[in-house]
Amino acid sequence: MPKDAIHAPETLLDIRNLSVDFRTPRGRVKALRDITFPIRKNRIVGIVGESGSGKSTVLWALLGLLAKNAEVTSGEVRFGDRDLLHASEAQLRATRGEEVSVVFQDPMTSQIPVLTYGRQMRDILYRRPNLSTAEKRRMAVEMLGKVGIPDPDKRIDQYPHHFSGGMRQRAGIAMALLTGPQLLLADEPTTALDVTMEAQIIHLLQDLQKELDATVVVVSHNLGLIAELCDDVVVMYAGEVIEAGEVREIFHNAQHPYTRALLECDPARIDDVSRKLPVIPGDIPDLTKPLSGCIYAPRCQRAMPVCREKLPPDVARGEMSLARCHLLDGPHHDPSWPPPPDVMTVGVGETSASKPARAVSDTPLLDVSDLNVQFETVGPLRARLRGLETRHVDAVLDVSLSVAPGETVGLVGESGSGKTTLGRCVLNLVPGQGGSVKFEGQDILNMPEARFKPLRRDMAMMFQDPVGSLSPRKSVRALITEPFQIHGITDVDLDAEAERLAEMVRLPGPFLSRYPHELSGGQARRVGVARALALNPKLIIADEPTAGLDVSVQGEILNLMADLQAEHGLGYLIITHNLPVVRHIADRLAIMYLGRIVEEGRTAEVFARPVHPYTQALVEGVPQPDPDRRRAHVSISGEVPSLLNRPKGCDFAGRCPFAQDHCRAEKPPHVTMVDGRRHACHFPLT
Amino acid sequence: MLYYLAKRLGLSAVVVCLVVLVLFSLLYLIPGDPATIALGPRATEEAIARYAEKMHLDEPVWRQFLIYIGNALTGDLGLDVFSDRPVTAIIMERIGFTLALVFAGMGWAMLIGIPLGCLAAVKPNSWLDRVTGVLSVGTIAVPSFLVSIWALLIFAVHLRWLPAIGAGEPGDFSDQLSHLVLPAFAIGLSWVGYLARMVRASMLEVMGENYIRSARAFGLHPRRVIFGYALRVAILPTITLIGMGFGGMISSTVFAEIIFARPGIGKLIFDAVMARNFPIVQGAVLVATGLYILVVLFSDILIAWFDPRVRESL
Repeated sequence: MPKDAIHAPETLLDIRNLSVDFRTPRGRVKALRDITFPIRKNRIVGIVGESGSGKSTVLWALLGLLAKNAEVTSGEVRFGDRDLLHASEAQLRATRGEEVSVVFQDPMTSQIPVLTYGRQMRDILYRRPNLSTAEKRRMAVEMLGKVGIPDPDKRIDQYPHHFSGGMRQRAGIAMALLTGPQLLLADEPTTALDVTMEAQIIHLLQDLQKELDATVVVVSHNLGLIAELCDDVVVMYAGEVIEAGEVREIFHNAQHPYTRALLECDPARIDDVSRKLPVIPGDIPDLTKPLSGCIYAPRCQRAMPVCREKLPPDVARGEMSLARCHLLDGPHHDPSWPPPPDVMTVGVGETSASKPARAVSDTPLLDVSDLNVQFETVGPLRARLRGLETRHVDAVLDVSLSVAPGETVGLVGESGSGKTTLGRCVLNLVPGQGGSVKFEGQDILNMPEARFKPLRRDMAMMFQDPVGSLSPRKSVRALITEPFQIHGITDVDLDAEAERLAEMVRLPGPFLSRYPHELSGGQARRVGVARALALNPKLIIADEPTAGLDVSVQGEILNLMADLQAEHGLGYLIITHNLPVVRHIADRLAIMYLGRIVEEGRTAEVFARPVHPYTQALVEGVPQPDPDRRRAHVSISGEVPSLLNRPKGCDFAGRCPFAQDHCRAEKPPHVTMVDGRRHACHFPLT
Repeated sequence: MLYYLAKRLGLSAVVVCLVVLVLFSLLYLIPGDPATIALGPRATEEAIARYAEKMHLDEPVWRQFLIYIGNALTGDLGLDVFSDRPVTAIIMERIGFTLALVFAGMGWAMLIGIPLGCLAAVKPNSWLDRVTGVLSVGTIAVPSFLVSIWALLIFAVHLRWLPAIGAGEPGDFSDQLSHLVLPAFAIGLSWVGYLARMVRASMLEVMGENYIRSARAFGLHPRRVIFGYALRVAILPTITLIGMGFGGMISSTVFAEIIFARPGIGKLIFDAVMARNFPIVQGAVLVATGLYILVVLFSDILIAWFDPRVRESL
């Protein structure tokens, strides 16, 4: 027997020729077509793809939990001697949660709010009638302790809303592992979490997998996460597996043009800080239409006539490595493909206007100084009854920030850092309790709405949720001309304006008569940009402008924003938690933690030499899309403290690896360094 | 929690005071003076003067109001104009019948409506769902006095299955029960429809939540998923609806009690209004209001008991 065969990992689950259709009012969507790949034992397998690639559908198909309008048209899923696709409901129920278990995407909504963790975990163990309730509880407590929940014996009697996001996800992992499943499925396990939490969860999954010898399938769109965590990778596009292989093969020597393009688009991978981000032009194909040839051909830079006619062959490389492309084998084989990793294969979008010739001016567009925003937590009567001294929490504390015309400032922080509140206060949507906000020299803090309204034409907001912030009953045309109506501007031709704006954000004409639910994430985002730009504002506050967008699309939006800035000299305040993205677009960065700005400076310098330990943790916390750059340790532990009990000294002291007694006793003041950077740290790095 | 209870009870007191104020001003808004209304047009001067003194009618209005409130607090709601018996005693005699009717009516509506809504939501667009949909719209649309008359005609007059009028022999429980069936059916019927619709809608919403998918992905039995998880959350808005429903039901008892000639608060109020017997009207409405406030408070506490998030925000 050859030596390899002994060491070759055994296949735990084998997916063969899986096809799934969804019946929709628009017709049958062929969501999965002929999916075949093995899941090897004791490996972490990553399924990576953009939205619409069908990666989650594979997961739900394995569990027999597809939506009601789904129909499995062919295939089998071998798990041991069973076929999960054709198992009875009772058999599936015995498998789910017992042999195959799941960690869910959003721990905030995937755990029932009205039952304690103890109850939820006891329910999962319901198939073991010979265990007493006390024994089940002991098992649950032990598992909660194992996933790093402090005081598990007490916390097991708490409800999900008592847990922070990171802790909930830990509890979610504990629930999934409680029964000792052979296969653990993780559906975007860190997407809903902050960067520092994400790193902790990645490490937890890695450690547990080693300890329990489990097999894990991770579904994600996050290339960094996949590179950091996985052994094998399956790349999906529009319902097909277009490439599969071991993690290094995929990240260092990708064969399929789509995989190449996807990797090149990841902003975390691009070290060259140019304004333009690469994009894959076009959209995912309409899967209700009959398909022929290569599914990626319409967007492929290397498409040949044959690609549109003939399905490409699956070219195998190793045991589970394959890539589906005409370039790799057959009559159209191109020996020079793939090019070396440092050669770009995708373009960077249209018109590469370089750094804008901006209207440099000494007066900043927006000047925030020592701004404070407080939220009331208890009523006056109750505060007196309980003898509380303060009824407020400081959501924004002594924040100073300025944005010049034509400048992009990135405001970075984790959830709960007060960044969105700051943005809303600048737009006079929440009242401030001290300090000043000046717009073009005019103090606008707490200005009465009647006087502020004309200024709203000059400052616009791009909202976080692109579809949710658009009225579902209005057409795109009505939506992008709405600002004119709000401000009573009647001397313009609304139809002409709608077309001008649509063209500006590169939204094709027919889209003007569509409604928000008919738009993709990227298109809805463009409508948001068009609305913000309608009245030629000077300042745009963009709240998470790329949240929920695929990597291939986010470049388009960011490039568009950069072009518009170059053209109109706009000032941007970009509120985000996404460091890799903001790195490419922001001139300056301000890092917020618990309502305070802890560091501020030029983007390149902040990235190269972080001064505040928190900034350093954020910069290091971004998982790199390179399996050779996996981190050995998690840089910071713990969680963001609650605003209700803000630490007495430095807000970050509780999590800071360098904290000393002085840090815990006294709040560090804001210090401006010689090079103009500002920070709030007693013991700055470097 | 204690703070919350104190706050709610304080607010309830304010509501009761407002109700008393409205009832009280009613006396002065209708034409004629209270003594003439009470004693009739042919009362002698002397009798009116005696009555006015007994009823404190010579005092200023605000004092009369305070006296009424003070008396009401000690359980004294005044005297019946005709029989001179205490109003409290008269109400106490009847309240049991009305409460039995309301609880029986709401009780059977809950027993049928909630499971029906649940099953309809679990299998949307099934025949059961369709039937439930038609049935609930139908029962909501038909007013309860019509149902009462039909039920009376069909089950008591034609089929002779159940007794038609009265509340049954005192002390004979089964006889009282058989007298309760038709009126309870009549006032509960539309609530079957309300509850089924409400539960169906909130169940449909909850069944689409991520945590229901989680429970299924952990392999829990469908029964446990539906009743232990989904219904536990979906029932919350329904509890509020039921609490408010008790109030509406107290007014539907007026029809049922008249049609079935049952003793009870509804019939008492009706008769008292017809006879301009104001102490009874005031007392009965006050008691009904108090009951309504208690039920709504109870339903809010029940929600807090079901939902830890609400419990902790109290």
